Amino acid sequence: MKFRGYFVEDIPRRKFLQMSLKGGIALAATPALMTELLSYKGSEKAGAKLALDPQILKKTIKHALEKGGEFAEVYVENRISRNILMEESKFKSGVFALSQGAGVRVISGDKTGYAYTDDITEEKLMNAAEGASFIARGTKAMGPVDLKKVKRKSFITVKLPLEGVADEKRLEIMKRANQAALDYDPKIKMASISYYDEIRGRTVANSEGLLLSDELPLLFFIVQTLGVGKDTRHMGRERLSRHSGFEMFDEVSPEEVAQTCARESIAMLEAKDAPAGIMDVVMQNGWGGVLVLEAVGHPLEGDGIARKTGVFTGKMGQKVASDVFTMVDDGTLPNFRGTTNFDDEGTQMKRNVLIKNGVLEKYMTDILSAKQLKMERTGNGRRESFRYIPIPRMTNTFIEKGKDKPGDILASTKKGLYVQSLSGGSVNPITGMFNFTCREAYLIEDGKKTIPVKGATLIGSCQDVIVNVDAVGDNLAFGPGICGKGQVAEVSAGQPTVRIRGITVGGSRAKR
Amino acid sequence: MDYKGLSEQLVKKCLRLGADEAEVYVESGRNLNIRVRNGEVETVQEAGSHGVGFRVFVQKRMAFSSCNDFSDKALENSIESAVRFAKNTTPDENNVLPDDKGITKVGMLCDSQINQIPKKKKIELAKKVEKLAMKDSRITKSSGASYSEGEEEIFLANSNGLSKSSKVSACSYGVYVVAEKGEQRSSGGEYCSRRFFADLKPPEEIAEKAAKEAYEMLDPQMIKTQKAAVIFDPDVARAILGGILAAINGERVLQGRSFLAKKLNQKIASELITIIDDGTRPKGLGSKPFDGEGVPTQKRIIVEQGILRGFMYNTIVAKRAGVKSTGNASRRDFTSLPGISAHNFYMGAGKNSCDEIIKKTEKGLLLKGVTGYGIAAVSGNFSGGASGFWVENGKIAFPVRGLTIAGSAFEMLNNIDMVGDDLDLTRSFTAPTFRIKSMQIGGKEQGKGYVFFFIYSSERKFLAIKYYLLEL
Repeated sequence: MKFRGYFVEDIPRRKFLQMSLKGGIALAATPALMTELLSYKGSEKAGAKLALDPQILKKTIKHALEKGGEFAEVYVENRISRNILMEESKFKSGVFALSQGAGVRVISGDKTGYAYTDDITEEKLMNAAEGASFIARGTKAMGPVDLKKVKRKSFITVKLPLEGVADEKRLEIMKRANQAALDYDPKIKMASISYYDEIRGRTVANSEGLLLSDELPLLFFIVQTLGVGKDTRHMGRERLSRHSGFEMFDEVSPEEVAQTCARESIAMLEAKDAPAGIMDVVMQNGWGGVLVLEAVGHPLEGDGIARKTGVFTGKMGQKVASDVFTMVDDGTLPNFRGTTNFDDEGTQMKRNVLIKNGVLEKYMTDILSAKQLKMERTGNGRRESFRYIPIPRMTNTFIEKGKDKPGDILASTKKGLYVQSLSGGSVNPITGMFNFTCREAYLIEDGKKTIPVKGATLIGSCQDVIVNVDAVGDNLAFGPGICGKGQVAEVSAGQPTVRIRGITVGGSRAKR
Repeated sequence: MDYKGLSEQLVKKCLRLGADEAEVYVESGRNLNIRVRNGEVETVQEAGSHGVGFRVFVQKRMAFSSCNDFSDKALENSIESAVRFAKNTTPDENNVLPDDKGITKVGMLCDSQINQIPKKKKIELAKKVEKLAMKDSRITKSSGASYSEGEEEIFLANSNGLSKSSKVSACSYGVYVVAEKGEQRSSGGEYCSRRFFADLKPPEEIAEKAAKEAYEMLDPQMIKTQKAAVIFDPDVARAILGGILAAINGERVLQGRSFLAKKLNQKIASELITIIDDGTRPKGLGSKPFDGEGVPTQKRIIVEQGILRGFMYNTIVAKRAGVKSTGNASRRDFTSLPGISAHNFYMGAGKNSCDEIIKKTEKGLLLKGVTGYGIAAVSGNFSGGASGFWVENGKIAFPVRGLTIAGSAFEMLNNIDMVGDDLDLTRSFTAPTFRIKSMQIGGKEQGKGYVFFFIYSSERKFLAIKYYLLEL
């Protein structure tokens, strides 16, 4: 199967990166994702190494523009991370990594040149500048630039810094989650607890004179539990992730995460085959917003619009959704997984209302697509690491809350499917066709949630789905995720409880 | 840099710093990515990089660290962090490293000339495939063409005296285009991946397939929800093979997270089905002389005429299961612990031609695209979005889109009643065309439909919508 479109994943990164290797092609130097290193303590924390001489950055930018081009940038990154896995009540492994590098980018018209290096030395930066300037051949050269240190507002507060947390504390959190999952029900036969944290130091300098540095902590906690029934098995999943310090676990306890997960594993053991056909779908508040994030968010990213291939090309100012539908991308929500202080190009994060009461108001841009579209920079230029070119990406994307009561939405739906949570799915941003797999879903009969159903897929086109949203609850909630578009980004998706009229549901039996 | 010498030295350093056993995995490589659109270069990305991963055992407790900074201080820091954390993990007597010093001879995995071919020629290739794909008047837009290549060298050493290295190359190019007709849009794409540049398919072939895929899907029709035959095109092989691959992962089997866990030597599929994993095929995109922890690769039968014959193991999981490693330790890169995965994984060819399979299908779906996760490894459930062509009376009738298909793995595998002869082994994860006799296909309502009545007052003021369920 060819890789098409963009996707959101619900499985550990390792597996999903393997899957995303197109046709088995093993290109060298895949991203250092789960990398990082324990021994970086106190005095040597991330960022310490990034005290790069601005003169070197200036020289690199100058060299990058010597052959022409109108924009050049140096991005320096240092990431320290740890990933601990507990499975079958054993601490199987701890994975630590230190990853550092710098990328140089040159933009000349619509062309982008990019080169990166693991070694942050003047010589290697100059080589990268040389490589990145390949595309600018023949155009006019630009003069030298002055770099000015800029400060950006912070949306991330840290009470218990990760570098001050003893490993025993991390293990303790995992043990508590494991115990809570196994205690939940004897049918829970196994729990898999994955703990990930990182500190990413970033420095961005560009030919507009910008010079910015910061450091971002990130926590990602995943619990999966295996429920085993008579002839059925279900793997539940619950995740917790924030850009924050270790206090995250005081605010949401590991037991709570584990119990939520175990509850799903048990509930779905009784699931019957899902029906097939077109039906009304009520989606519970929270991570279900990923359907909109993927199906509608990706097509609103500026690169596809600039290339004129996206489904929403030329629809600015037009009515594209129902009156009750408002969609926002907001990179400033405090400590959220998709939040940063500035994007990976140095642009200030902000709240961007993309669709307001059904009318398309904004596309999400990076520096290049903003220039091509002659629109503002929205703070959506993101990259997985220094090994990638920044591209327009979502941050925290959600359906804005409405006025309906969630209970009323369900009660007024005579027949249909109640989707409590989704796994993930994908969209083809050219045609707008999407698909999503339900993790936990129930039939709706006479306005009530009845029997659980397994293996339901939701498909449709993004243009239709937002026209068919006819009820929006007042209970906005979020969930954390990983979003893929040739490179991965950490995002949140959110929504209140909503109803979508007439989605195609794929199940294994004909609808009654 | 003498990476081989370095990897051996670093093993000793791990032992000196407190590890009882150690493995060092060094990776060095370069890559080039070119993207063109509308005849112009859009991006050129180039880089060389390297990194090292340390796996250490301290009293049978395992930990891992990696870094891409080769200064002495960083390397030492990295090893120390792994050794230090190892005190926290659970001891396991199955934590062992391989000692098999053998290497499987696999030919033609590296095109040593690939870097000598000028960048210009590679850009031209991408431009050409795009231009050819745009030739057809039904194709209105290009979503871009790309070329990418990489070379990668691995050096692996461990405290059992193992020290091995291998070098591979790969290149790939392709194009994505859009066909439009009125308000309709349809996208199509095709690519080709090879170990050697000279083996890449001609751009004419790639372009034609990409364009065809886009315009053929214009004017789709809807079908009723029903049970009918489904013919899987080789392009959607992953939808069925992916779930099987995950379910034969030895670790999942031990944990009970696989629908195939208790099915060894039992019939799981139609006798027409044979599935093979081959790490030894010359020029194979999934071939290697040794796996991610140094165990020689092999060619194995996984499913033999419908009978499940084996699972896949790396060294640790094999010891736990009481078997020998099957040489299936996988490594995403130097930053990760060895997992378990296949090399070249495919369903063996059958006797029917693809045309014959269509001809013998009275009514069914020729499946060209599947969305979703394919078969779920834990439950064996399958559900996804589907597109392709509707077949009637042995002939392709019209394109279909927005359908769903669903079933269970055992039902699907046992219901395969025809397997094609069109297996293409230049792909690393593939199957020939095959047919499943009957599956649930979701389309529009089964003979029922909603009819809407808009009710207005005498002043043409909108009052309500009423709808009735009608039998059509």
